Amino acid sequence: MKKTLAAVLGGCAVCLFSSCNGIFGNIYDTAEPSDETSAYGFVKPCTDSEAGRIYIDTQDYTQWVYLDFEAQTTAVAAVADEAPEAWDIALHRYDVKTHDGRAAETTYSDLSKWVAAGRPALAKEYADIWSDERIMTDLSHMMDSIIVYTPSYYNPCLSRWLDVDLRTMPPIYTPSNRVYTVRFDDGRSMALRFLNYMDDRGAKGYITIDYLYPVSF
Amino acid sequence: MNVFRGILGLSAGLLLSAPAMAQSPMKDIDMEQVVVTATRTPKLLKDAPLVTRIITRDDIRKSDASHVGELLQSELPGIEFSFSMNQQTALNMSGFDGGSVLFLIDGERIAGETLDNVDYSRLNLNDVERIEIVKGAASALYGSNAVGGVVNIITRTDKEKWNVEANARYGSHNEQRYGGAVSFNAGKVYSRTNVQYTDIDSYDLPADGDYSRIYGNRTWDFKERLIYTANDHLKFTARAGYFFRERDAQAIAKERYRDFSGGVKGNYVFGRHDAELAYTFDQYDKSDYNLFTEKDIRDYSNVQHTLRALYNFRIGKKYTLTTGGDFMRDYLLSYQFAENGSKSQYTADIFAQFDWNPIEKINVIAGVRYDWLSEAHLHHLSSKAGIMYKTGNCSLRGSYAGGFRAPTLKEMFMNFDMANLFMIYGNPDLKAESSHNFSLSAEYLRSGWNVAVTGFCNLVDNRISTAWDNSLNGMRYVNTSALRISGAEMYVSMKLNCGVGARLSYAYTHEHAKAGEPMISPTRPHTATLRAEYGKKWKNYSFDLILNGRWLSAVEADEYTSLTSYTQTVRRKYPAYTLWKLTLSQDIRKGIRVTLAVDNLFNYVPSYYYYNSPATTGTTFYAGVSLDIDRFF
Repeated sequence: MKKTLAAVLGGCAVCLFSSCNGIFGNIYDTAEPSDETSAYGFVKPCTDSEAGRIYIDTQDYTQWVYLDFEAQTTAVAAVADEAPEAWDIALHRYDVKTHDGRAAETTYSDLSKWVAAGRPALAKEYADIWSDERIMTDLSHMMDSIIVYTPSYYNPCLSRWLDVDLRTMPPIYTPSNRVYTVRFDDGRSMALRFLNYMDDRGAKGYITIDYLYPVSF
Repeated sequence: MNVFRGILGLSAGLLLSAPAMAQSPMKDIDMEQVVVTATRTPKLLKDAPLVTRIITRDDIRKSDASHVGELLQSELPGIEFSFSMNQQTALNMSGFDGGSVLFLIDGERIAGETLDNVDYSRLNLNDVERIEIVKGAASALYGSNAVGGVVNIITRTDKEKWNVEANARYGSHNEQRYGGAVSFNAGKVYSRTNVQYTDIDSYDLPADGDYSRIYGNRTWDFKERLIYTANDHLKFTARAGYFFRERDAQAIAKERYRDFSGGVKGNYVFGRHDAELAYTFDQYDKSDYNLFTEKDIRDYSNVQHTLRALYNFRIGKKYTLTTGGDFMRDYLLSYQFAENGSKSQYTADIFAQFDWNPIEKINVIAGVRYDWLSEAHLHHLSSKAGIMYKTGNCSLRGSYAGGFRAPTLKEMFMNFDMANLFMIYGNPDLKAESSHNFSLSAEYLRSGWNVAVTGFCNLVDNRISTAWDNSLNGMRYVNTSALRISGAEMYVSMKLNCGVGARLSYAYTHEHAKAGEPMISPTRPHTATLRAEYGKKWKNYSFDLILNGRWLSAVEADEYTSLTSYTQTVRRKYPAYTLWKLTLSQDIRKGIRVTLAVDNLFNYVPSYYYYNSPATTGTTFYAGVSLDIDRFF
């Protein structure tokens, strides 16, 4: 009994001493980019049976990230600069704008359920609107209640995908978890489901979007 | 407030009428309880040279507290647990924050912190024998962080041959707690295994405020302690623990907190002397589990290895020399370091304390401790001296104690981007906070009665805080202005054989601001707690009806209007509030206890939820049952 106990106690002590920087590190996942997140942009194409996926970095408050669904490309431009020639939607941090599009928020939380329901369209669709106090481009003095905005268009419906409450620190992020539809003036349309706004390490401003394009409704 | 006055009057009347009843023999109030925190040697509470408050297992049962914060607040005045950023728990104990109050479990430090506070939810009340609280500096015995006080949680050791317990509690907001413990004494071996699970839903608050939703969370706690008594002289203790907490702070991710702890200890008694050698391991991790990626990514880990030696040398009944030392490796991996890096440092200390009873009525104590920290390049000497004079039923105590708080690895090496808004930088050149604590107290003890009055003064220099640095265009840890805190506490308790008991505690705390300087700290100047109880026992049934009350006065504090400039402030007033809890605890037959509780009895709801407002939505209800299965037989 004594020997067993001494062996157990000794074993415990040796194990713990040998783990200077801690134990059970292997129960955690690693934050290294997975195959899915090793690249930015259109990381998975949309097929007849499966939604496509987009992963973009929108950390920088001073730029828009433009998405061209036809060419499956992304482009970055400063907020004050001209948009590229071809683009469909663009994101600035969590704000969204469209290229002559109108958006609607469905009651569905999953693209597949929206498809299974027959891709219902909504009567009320929202076009982009101009605002002087929406696109925040300098938050360095936010703690002194000074925020610099850049006038711009944004889509009030699509931008509802994530509510960011800046009244508390850190801010409270509340996703809508809804499927959004976008219909463009040229007759094209798409469905979007915003899935995530963080990277593996929890840094905000990395957005994952599942999409169906082209899709009719 | 009228209700408070009414019940205060009732209890005052009860207390004033008590001397007439006190003619009959009455129960003593825990003064024969052995305590260890004030001197690191076992002493009777009445003989402890520093004022020590204890919360016993019976107090814990009667408070029906669901966590240690609720327990401490209900039992002691001058303690306030509130929220800080991101709804993290923050302590204020007589003007000192969580970083300046040292929490110990069986005398061992606790790894990990969030915004300078340890994870209080790790402290499983079901496994507690008693909690000892020594207010004031105690760095001459405990080193860094023991500036405002020491809270030492002593875990349970059962005397029975075997013991099996199970308990469950359910309450408002779907609050649930399930626990159990198994212990046995088999010859030279003692084992106690304790498991507890808690869960509470998130809930919305009914009024505007600094926060609008209380985050739900769930915890798992597992502890095992094994004691092997080789002979009358030699005893070995081994322990292991695992703690897990998951908090619903974000819609898309769960914040997770884990702790792995363990240790081995040997105690050797020879003659009147005793020695202890201990090794302790404590690892506190934080991770975020993203519900979308299903990845659990760790971004914080604090690992502490501590080797400790303690030796008590006694000469006759008059002299006790306590010497000891610790050696610790402190490792910290943090998302707040550049590139999620890590830092480590070694700390070592040696201390000695001389305890002298020149005559039966007088106890003199003096101690000194030297601390060294490698990364802080810090050498610090702490000292203390105290004297206690006992005459009749009175004890008079006076003490001086030095305290210090070494800059932490976080404070020295932080390099953190705060939500893409600004940077917070560490400062390797920080000096240690140092303090001088002076205390005078008088205690009257007569069978059934305990009255104590304490006055104190704390002088703290080189406080560590953050301030805007224009050259860095960000926040930086710096040593700030001195802090002066003085105050007084009053404590009256009584217990009669007829089953009536009462306890009233009051604390006055005054923080001194220099002329022309703002008063930033929202420490409430007046706080009071009250417990009135009545219990009765029959052969197969007994009950205790307990009323716990807590009153915190309003406080006004200044708040800077700018993060980057300290020229303008705005004054905020945080309102007073009173909370009452009524608990009925019934032993309905041998080994079965049913507890019913109504918290926030008078349905107090803040009109605005400040960070230091109680997170209550009004009156809440709780019911619990505990089974001592070994008593069935």
